Amino acid sequence: MNKAASLQRFLFVTDSGRWLDILRLGLGLQVILFAWSLRPDWQSLFGQERGGQVSRLLIEAVLSGNSSLTPRLGWLINAVQFTGLSDTAILWIIWSALFCSGGLLLVGLWPRFVSIASWLLYLATVKSGVLFSYGVDNFTITGLFYLMIAPVSRSPWLAGKQSNTSLRTRERLGFHRRILQLHLCIVYFFAGFSKCFASGWWNGDNIWGALTRPPFNVLTPEFLLHFESLFVLLGTFVCLVETGYPIFIWPRKTRGLWLLLIIVMHLGIGLTMGLYLFAWIMITLNLSAFGAELFPGEGWILDRPRLFRPHIVAPSGRG
Amino acid sequence: MFLWIAALALHLSLVLATCLQDLFATLGGEQSALSASSKLALKFASRASSHFLGQSFSNANPIRQTITTYTNITGIEAGYSFFAPVVSGPNKLVFELHYPDGRIEYDVPAVGSAATGYRISTLLDHLAAVHYVRLREALLQSLVEASHREHPQAVLIRAVFGVADLVSATEYRAGKRTSYRPLYVYDFQFGGESRHPDR
Repeated sequence: MNKAASLQRFLFVTDSGRWLDILRLGLGLQVILFAWSLRPDWQSLFGQERGGQVSRLLIEAVLSGNSSLTPRLGWLINAVQFTGLSDTAILWIIWSALFCSGGLLLVGLWPRFVSIASWLLYLATVKSGVLFSYGVDNFTITGLFYLMIAPVSRSPWLAGKQSNTSLRTRERLGFHRRILQLHLCIVYFFAGFSKCFASGWWNGDNIWGALTRPPFNVLTPEFLLHFESLFVLLGTFVCLVETGYPIFIWPRKTRGLWLLLIIVMHLGIGLTMGLYLFAWIMITLNLSAFGAELFPGEGWILDRPRLFRPHIVAPSGRG
Repeated sequence: MFLWIAALALHLSLVLATCLQDLFATLGGEQSALSASSKLALKFASRASSHFLGQSFSNANPIRQTITTYTNITGIEAGYSFFAPVVSGPNKLVFELHYPDGRIEYDVPAVGSAATGYRISTLLDHLAAVHYVRLREALLQSLVEASHREHPQAVLIRAVFGVADLVSATEYRAGKRTSYRPLYVYDFQFGGESRHPDR
């Protein structure tokens, strides 16, 4: 009974909802950057009329072989083709809607509707190019999914006009934050654990390999050779920080340090491998899950009633 | 409240199953340093994870479809063992364009931004892993046709798909450089004749 009560206290801790605002702001920028980065190649990746790099129909057929129920661009295009618009025009409308949904996430207008629209558009885009997608897309879809199912958080701009958040909503906000926290712990544990079994991460070979492997070779090998002695240290750092994440991210004493280390790691990945979108989504997810309390001033994002302020998401007795 | 906890348990179970499947496949792979008996055990464990994810059912099975769709829409269908156990060499696709006058030019898939370049690189990695020959041919043909639209005068495009052998820092210091091994070569003919791939 005590264990059940502890579990319930752990999962349904009341939360101010600031984490959701950080998640929404981060994802808004992520969606905007994603759409903008694909703008020059949007038609060549997904267009059919002038022919793309790889036929969208072929990729969607591959997707159907895996899951016939996963949303894709083909569905959206077919849904509005009765208007007589061309494939190209509809694709640009979808691109505009995706871009605007990112902007609306940033602004915080109509949060529920916009989070659903962003998730659907992003998901359909990624799945119609499933052979082009990589880790950043999975994490963005996961983030958008959590944003979509979480209780509606208030817009930073509209926060002052709304007040009373019920206890039930605050508990649900805490519960949804717990999902994200536990998910990240699983992610880092498995990412680190799988690396620990490879000698290449302990002797620094994989750091060299990751930094020199095209297309991640932002830095020249000649430049990297100056720091060869650091590769062992960096490889060990990555293994320890990732594997230790589920242990050291929970206690208040080590949470700030571990969050800082993981953010430094992602900044490093972003800057040295050119994976800026990947770095941004991971930093967003981490700050949202474990860093919401680090931002000074309750009024920074939300002007909440004083009653809610002391409630921090952390396991009882450990945080 | 019970429903929320049950949903959370189910969701995290799927995340865990995907991670375990990925971990077992990674550690049980050829490039892992584990013993043969450990790899055999991991193979069984990987199969158990696949069962949990419904992958032992046929593609059309509703249970499999439901689980796969759920993992797809939540972004949890892939594991997180990035660059483990080793950083594999990147793949490269080069087009050899043959013109009627005997001229030969070389080209690679063209993209408009670095972000798309990363995605094309991912596509090539997928292409290397595709074991279904017809699908690989169809994907290559699609890429070749995109190149032909840029070079409509070419009568034959030879698509050479290769993988790089990365060099270590020590080897690089000694003067060795990354080299590419061709894995597949396909010829696509244009100009009235049907296009056909020759391996």
